[in-house]
Amino acid sequence: MRIKYHPKDKFDFVLFGVVLLLSVFGLIAIYSSTYNHPTAHGNFDKQLTWLIVAIVILFVTYLLPPRLYKIVSIPLYVLALLLLGFVIVAGRKIYGAQSWLMIGPFGFQPSEFTKLAVILMLAYWLSRKEVKINSLRDISIALSLGILPILLIMLQPDLGTAIVFGAITLVMIFWAGIDLFGLFVVLSPGVVVFASLFGLPAFILALAAVLLGLIYFKRNLFTSASIFIMNIAAGFSFDYFFKLLRPHQQMRIKTFINPSADPLGYGYNALQAKVAIGSGGLLGKGLLHGNQTQLRFIPEQWTDFIYCVIGEELGFIGAIIVVALFFVLFYRLLDLATKSKDSFNSLVIIGVLTMFFVHFVINVGMNIGISPVIGIPLPFISYGGSSLLANMIAIGIVLSIYRTRKERV
Amino acid sequence: MIDNIDTLTRKKILFVIIVGFVLIISFKLFSLQILERSEFRERAKENSLKRIVEPAARGVFYDFNKSLLVSNKPSFTMEIIPAEYDWSKNDLVEKVLGVKKGYVKKILRRKRNYSRYFPVRIKKDVPLSVISWYEENSPWLKGLTYAVEYQRDYSFGVMGSHMFGYTNEISASQLRKYKGEYSRGDFIGVIGLEKYYEKVLRGKKGYKFVIVDAKGKLVRRYLNGAKDLPPQKGNDLILTIDKKTQEKAEELLKGRRGAIVAMNPKTGGIIAFVSSPEYDLSNFASVTPAEVLDSLNNDPDKPLFNRASMSVHSPGSTFKMLVALALLQEGIISTSNTVTCKGGLQFGNRFFECTHVHGRVNVESAIEKSCNTFFYTYVQKLGLERLAKYARMFGFGRKTGIDIYEEAKGLIPDKKYYDRVYGKYNWTRGVLLNLGIGQGEIGVTPLQLAQYTSLLANWGWTVRPHFVYALRNKDGKTLKVLHFDTLRVNISRKNFKIVRKGMYDVVNRKGTATHIALPDLKIAGKTGTVQNPHGKDHAIFVAFAPYEDPEIAVAVLVENVGFGATYAAPIAQKIITTFLRYKIKTTAQSDSTGGVNAH
Repeated sequence: MRIKYHPKDKFDFVLFGVVLLLSVFGLIAIYSSTYNHPTAHGNFDKQLTWLIVAIVILFVTYLLPPRLYKIVSIPLYVLALLLLGFVIVAGRKIYGAQSWLMIGPFGFQPSEFTKLAVILMLAYWLSRKEVKINSLRDISIALSLGILPILLIMLQPDLGTAIVFGAITLVMIFWAGIDLFGLFVVLSPGVVVFASLFGLPAFILALAAVLLGLIYFKRNLFTSASIFIMNIAAGFSFDYFFKLLRPHQQMRIKTFINPSADPLGYGYNALQAKVAIGSGGLLGKGLLHGNQTQLRFIPEQWTDFIYCVIGEELGFIGAIIVVALFFVLFYRLLDLATKSKDSFNSLVIIGVLTMFFVHFVINVGMNIGISPVIGIPLPFISYGGSSLLANMIAIGIVLSIYRTRKERV
Repeated sequence: MIDNIDTLTRKKILFVIIVGFVLIISFKLFSLQILERSEFRERAKENSLKRIVEPAARGVFYDFNKSLLVSNKPSFTMEIIPAEYDWSKNDLVEKVLGVKKGYVKKILRRKRNYSRYFPVRIKKDVPLSVISWYEENSPWLKGLTYAVEYQRDYSFGVMGSHMFGYTNEISASQLRKYKGEYSRGDFIGVIGLEKYYEKVLRGKKGYKFVIVDAKGKLVRRYLNGAKDLPPQKGNDLILTIDKKTQEKAEELLKGRRGAIVAMNPKTGGIIAFVSSPEYDLSNFASVTPAEVLDSLNNDPDKPLFNRASMSVHSPGSTFKMLVALALLQEGIISTSNTVTCKGGLQFGNRFFECTHVHGRVNVESAIEKSCNTFFYTYVQKLGLERLAKYARMFGFGRKTGIDIYEEAKGLIPDKKYYDRVYGKYNWTRGVLLNLGIGQGEIGVTPLQLAQYTSLLANWGWTVRPHFVYALRNKDGKTLKVLHFDTLRVNISRKNFKIVRKGMYDVVNRKGTATHIALPDLKIAGKTGTVQNPHGKDHAIFVAFAPYEDPEIAVAVLVENVGFGATYAAPIAQKIITTFLRYKIKTTAQSDSTGGVNAH
C-alpha cells in the first residue's frame, strides 16, 4: 500500500506559524520599547539575530530523531545540574539573581536549558515500563528529579523559574497516570503552604480540609498519619523557606497578598503596567506612541513587562491576538500530546506545554495585575537570547515528534 | 502504560485549566482596556503631563514723564520638594548656599504641614554661580530645584518707600481670604501703592504644559505648546510723581525727620511725597533679613512710619487762612475790620500771646504777619461749631481718600469732642482762641495740608489727591486714565482773593517768609510753627505757585527744628523751583522728543 505523502504530514505549519507570529509581535514590541532608549536601542537587532539563529537550530532539532532525546536525557540532566551548581559558584549577578554564565562576550542563562533537560529526564523516567506511578517510592523519585534543580535554583535565587519547574514536575506526574489519591498526596502540601501565607486561621482550615480528604480515601492509619504530618511540616517549613528568600522576593509575595501595602515600591511596576495596558484602550495608542512605554515609566520593559507595550500601543486587539495565539499553541500541544502513541513523546510535549503555559500565565498575569510580580519572560516575545533559543529548541523537539508521530520510539 | 480513556480525561482536565486561565486573562484585559479605559487614560496622562507655573511680571511704576521709578529684575530662588528630597544632602546644600548648619532642616520642619510634593522656598536671591553649580549636579540632587522669579528693582534714584510700599510672600490667612486667586508662594502687596493697586499690578500667571518621563525629566512640550498659557504682565502704573522733584524732596529732608507733600492743585496728582527718614525698599524686595527689620523697628526716628499721611500735628499758623475765610464768608469781618495788636490778648484771667506787637492789622496783613491777636479776637465771634464746619469743608478731620491705605484722619475738635474728653462745662471758651491760631487739640496730616493748600491755590476746588495718573496695559499701548472725584469748598471767589493776597504778601511783601521770594516766580505761602511740649517746635510751611495760575501746592513739615519760616520755607521754595523750572525747560524740549505729557 502506498502512503500518500503531503508536507503537512511531516511538518506542523500551525505550530510553527503561531510561534513565528509570536516572535514577530515580540520584535515589534522590543523595537518600540527600545527605540528611544539610551542604552537598549540595539536590542532589536540583537533579538532579530537571535531569532534567525534560533529558527536555524529549530530546524536542526526538528530533523533529529526523537529517539535521540530519550538517549541524551540522563547525561543532559546531569549536565544541567552541574551547570546550575556552577552558576551559583561563578555566575554573574543580574537583577538580584545569580543566573548568568558568561561565555566570552555572551551571557546565557543555564536555567532556560535546564528546563528542557528536566522535561526530558522526567519524560524518560515516567515512561519507563517498570515505573509504577502510584507507588510511593516511584512518585518520590519522580518528585526528587524535579525538586533537585528547584533547590539549586532557589539558591540563586530565582522564584519564577522554581515555580516553572514545580509546575512541570507536577503536571508530568499527573499526565503519567497518577490516581486521585496520589494526586491528593502530591498537591495537598502545596495547598497548605499557600493557605499559610494568609495567616494562622487559613492554615488551620487547610489542615482540616486535608484531614477530611484522608477520611474520604480510607487508607490505613499509618499512611494517613504520615501524610498529615507531612502537611503540617510543609506548612511550618514554608515559613523557614520564606525567610530564605531575598527581601525583594518576600516583599513581592506580600505585596501580591496585600497590594496596597507598598504602592510606591514593589507595587509600582505592577501599577504602571496596569496603567499602560488600561490606557491602551481598544485600538491602542499606536506604535511608538504609548506614553507609558516611550517615557519609560516601567523599567526594563523589553524583558518581563513586554506585554504592556503591546497592550498600550496595540490596544485590546493586539493584546487579545497574543492571547489567542498562545491558546492555539497550547491547544495544539495538548492535542499532539494526546494523539502521540509513544508515552515518552507524549510526556515531553506535556512538559513543553506546561513550561509555556506557566510562563504565559505568570507573565501576562503580572502585567495585568492578577499575579504577583515574578520575573519570568513571556515566551517568544520577551527580549533575551537564551530564552528564545531554549523555546525554539523545545518547539523543534515537538515538531520532530510530530514528524515521526506514527512511529514508536 | 497510558490507557486511552484515562488520557482523554486528563486531556479534558488540562483543557479546562487552559481555557479557564485564558478566559480569566481575556476578561481582565477586556475590563482594563475597554471598561476602565478612561480612568487609566487619565492616569497615564497624569503620569507624564506636568503643569509648570510661569510667574507674571508685576507692573512697574513710571513717573509722569515715563521715567522708571520701580521696575523688575529676575531673581533665582532655591526650592526643595520634600517628597523627593534626600535629607542627607542638607550639609552640602547649606554649604553651597552659604547658610548656617541646620538652616535647611529648620525651614523644612516649619513647612511640614504643607503638601510634600509642593516646592518649599529655601533661599531667595541665590547668585547665578549657585544655579550653574546646581545645573551641573542636578542628577544626584533629586528634590532640589530652583525657580526664576521677578523681584522689584529700586535702582532708579528715588526712594519713595512710603508711597511705593512693598510686597510680601502671601500669608496663610491671606491665602484663605483670597481662596483660588492666589497660591502658596505668591507675592502680594502689603503696603503703599503695591497694596492699593495689587489687583492691576499682579498680572496673570501663565502655565506651560510639558511631557516628563518617569524620572520627572522634561522630554518635550505638550502639543508643541498649543495649550500653554503665556503669563500676562500686570498693568504698569503711570504716576503723577515728578521724578526730579521727588528726588529733590528726598534730598532736602535727608538727615531730618519730616514730610513733604507736593501736588498739582488742578488735577490732585501728587508731585512729590516724602516721609523722612525713608527706608531702603530693596531690603523688602524678597526676604527681609531679621536684623534689618529689627533695626528699622527700633530706630528712634521711626523710618517705617509714614509721616506724610499718617503723622498728625496741629497746623499752627497755616490754619489762619481757613479761619480768615470762615470769618469772611460768614460776614463777621471784611477787609475794613481791624484789630490793634499789642502783643497779645487778655482773655479772662489768661493772656494769649502774639509773636510781635503788630499794631493795626486787617485780615490780609494778619495773615501776612501771622498776627495771633487778630484771630484771637475774631474767632470768638465765629464759635467752635462754625470753625469745625469750615475745617471739615477743607478736608480736615477725615481721610483724603488718597490711593494708599496708610492715612490718618486727624482731628477737628468740636463741642461734642470737648464734652466727651473734659466733661460737660469742664472746659472754657479759651480752647477756641488756641484753635483760632491752629494750636491745641486740632490735628492734621501733611497730606491734608497739601490738599488744603491746593484748595486755596485753586479758588476752592481741587481733585482728591492721588498718585496714579493712568494704568498702562501689558503691551504698553493702551492707557486707562483714572478719574478721581472733585473736592469743592463753597466760599466766594472774592474772599479767596483776600486770603490768597495775604499769602502772597507773606513771601513778597513784609511777611514772615520774604527770604524765599523770587524775582521771576510768584510764590504764595504761609509759615506755621507747631508747639511741641516734648522738644523743639516743628516747622511747617505751605505754599503754592505761580501765584496767578498755580501749578503746584506744597506742604512741608520738619520736626523739631523751631520756627517754620527758617527751615520749612526754603525747602518749599526749592520744591517749587525744581518742579516749575524743570517743567519749563522740558516743555521747550517736548516738541522734539514728543514724550512729555503726551497724555
